[in-house]
Amino acid sequence: MIERLMLIVRMALRNLRRQLRRSLLTASAMVLGIGLLMFIRALEGGAHLMYVETATRMGTGHIAMEHPDYMGSQDLADRIAAADLERAFRAVEETARPEELLAVFPQVNVGGLAQSASSSIPVRIGGVDPELERDVSFLADRVVEGRYLQPGDRLEGIVGVGVAERLRLELGSRLVLMAAGAGGDLESQLVLVTGIFRTGVPEVDRGVVQLPISTAREWLGLGDDATSMSVILASDDRTGSIADAVRERLRDEGVDADRIAVRPWWEAMPDLHAGLRADAVQTYVMLVILLGIVALAVVNSVLMAVLNRTREFGVMRALGLNRASVGAMVMVEGVILTFASGLLGMLLGLVISMGLFRDGVDISWLFGGDLAFAGAIVDPVITPAVLTVDVVAILSIVMTIGILASLYPAWHATRIEPAEAMKTDA
Amino acid sequence: MKPQGNGSASSPAVETHELWKTFGEGDTAVHAVQNVSVTIGTGEFVALCGPSGSGKTTLVNLIGGLTDPTRGQVRVDGREVGGMSERERAQLRLDRIGFVFQAYNLLPVLTALENAEFPLMLRGVPRDERRAEVSKLFEHIGLGGLEDRRPGALSGGQQQRVAVARAVLGAPALVLADEPTANLDTQASDALLEVMEVLNRERGVTFIFCTHDPRVMRRARRIIRLVDGHVERDAEKESGELPSWVLDPVET
Ligand SMILES: Nc1ncnc2c1ncn2[C@@H]1O[C@H](COP(=O)(O)OP(=O)(O)OP(=O)(O)O)[C@@H](O)[C@H]1O
Ligand SMILES: [Mg+2]
Repeated sequence: MIERLMLIVRMALRNLRRQLRRSLLTASAMVLGIGLLMFIRALEGGAHLMYVETATRMGTGHIAMEHPDYMGSQDLADRIAAADLERAFRAVEETARPEELLAVFPQVNVGGLAQSASSSIPVRIGGVDPELERDVSFLADRVVEGRYLQPGDRLEGIVGVGVAERLRLELGSRLVLMAAGAGGDLESQLVLVTGIFRTGVPEVDRGVVQLPISTAREWLGLGDDATSMSVILASDDRTGSIADAVRERLRDEGVDADRIAVRPWWEAMPDLHAGLRADAVQTYVMLVILLGIVALAVVNSVLMAVLNRTREFGVMRALGLNRASVGAMVMVEGVILTFASGLLGMLLGLVISMGLFRDGVDISWLFGGDLAFAGAIVDPVITPAVLTVDVVAILSIVMTIGILASLYPAWHATRIEPAEAMKTDA
Repeated sequence: MKPQGNGSASSPAVETHELWKTFGEGDTAVHAVQNVSVTIGTGEFVALCGPSGSGKTTLVNLIGGLTDPTRGQVRVDGREVGGMSERERAQLRLDRIGFVFQAYNLLPVLTALENAEFPLMLRGVPRDERRAEVSKLFEHIGLGGLEDRRPGALSGGQQQRVAVARAVLGAPALVLADEPTANLDTQASDALLEVMEVLNRERGVTFIFCTHDPRVMRRARRIIRLVDGHVERDAEKESGELPSWVLDPVET
């Protein structure tokens, strides 16, 4: 049985070699197709990693902890108490390995009004801890004038370029922030502009102000409480499992989901997640369509190979090889052809992605001015990222297509009648 | 592997009963085999002769289960071939029957040796045993040293001998040989016939040859002559001399 299988594989290989030119032509079409698709997917994967990276650093972190109702209510009554913040902090430290953990920090995030001498606009106000956020803050790297916040700051604040423009602010200008405090009354806070940032995302540049968290807490009467706690990880690989573990640990300490909701970024930023998913699905649809076309080439190639060898199949059947084995021989031929091409194509994709374009591809010409994607920022230089899940997915698609494309020719081969076949020229 | 065929020792090797094979329909129908009823006992050495187009190839194809009869039955080892599933037929061919096809029909991607051992391999004979048998036979029929050549690099006569080797190796119960000596000189065909006679004598292998070759007919102990698809003469032969009726008037 094993030997019969080996013979089938051996004959399939020799037949492929016998029709070397046709095999190579079919294979090269597939290699090119798969290689390019893989590169495209790698670019997309790279871009997605970047979106996630910036989105997590600008927004909620890889893991966001908030009172479950705060997102909807924006009511400071729905905040995390200082004691729970402490528990959450410990839960994270005890769950993630130190090398995985880049930062854990609380924030006070409220909607409010920013007012200058000339006008007033609605803004998102973030109270942040400069010490904890210094190395991971997305805005810290995007300050184009002045400086980012630093420990010891009190009235200092940073604003987006759009905010500065609309309120006619310069470095050193004053503005007044107004928001509902913990007590329910409108409270105001004076801020001195010490930095202006530009991210490229209009909503952020035109609507975000940050000030030290200590100032915000005092202003809004929050004590040591906060509205959220964010975790920034070194990589996104374990976000889900760490979030689960933290949630578990908090529950063990009696902090249930009705006090702190622990969400991985894809739950905290569902729009971004849906956008990335739609993007990937689109690419895969394209991939399947393209590979489907390639599959036709495989069908053609393998079917020709069968038709040209009608006589041989007849002989084999006459010698006592059953239909199943004859079909298997053809299947093996088609699958080897597809699989080998698939592997080579992936290799080509790898070479393009991680060799030729290792340093990234500048796609700024694609975007014009607007560098935002579902609220996340795009660096115009994308470094291709070949993800394991893509490699596995593409290989499975290639295999499936190889099998599907070989089915018809194989079926055809099993239909060959020995006596008739031996009369034909082929 | 299945056990060898279940026919009893007393059943004849081959039995056909009112066998018909018609190609096409109506006016253009060709009756390639007409009402053939023959019984060939185990261990017989039979030559099937007759002019070109008389139905020899069609008849052996029917016997080997490669074609279905239009009417009538074929029994091999007492088992009705017509009633078998495709799988059972393949198994029957594999276990019991060796074929030499009219155009030797070697598999081009396999070497001479691999071609010859193909059925043995399908039968699951261990590699060393196979190789030993093939080498011995190849030596015997003048193919020594050609084991690793592909058919494309063999002469017609050499290919034919490989095809015969493929059919007789492992001594199947029945060998159906369609013009096995057509391309061979006297010496080469004598060597082949020698091998077959030994198998016939010592292992009781039944042989049915389609042939125009007087040398083959001379060695046969029974000659069946087909004309237009039906049996014209069927006779045992004692002496080495050929009866005059075996020869086709127009052909050699
Ligand atoms: N598939 C087919 N379709 C139609 N007619 C066929 C087919 N196969 C064989 N025949 C016809 O059946 C008849 C018998 O053919 P067969 O091949 O059995 O002859 P043969 O005795 O083997 O001849 P030869 O000595 O030339 O090999 C011939 O008239 C042939 O034309
Ligand atoms: Mg013939």
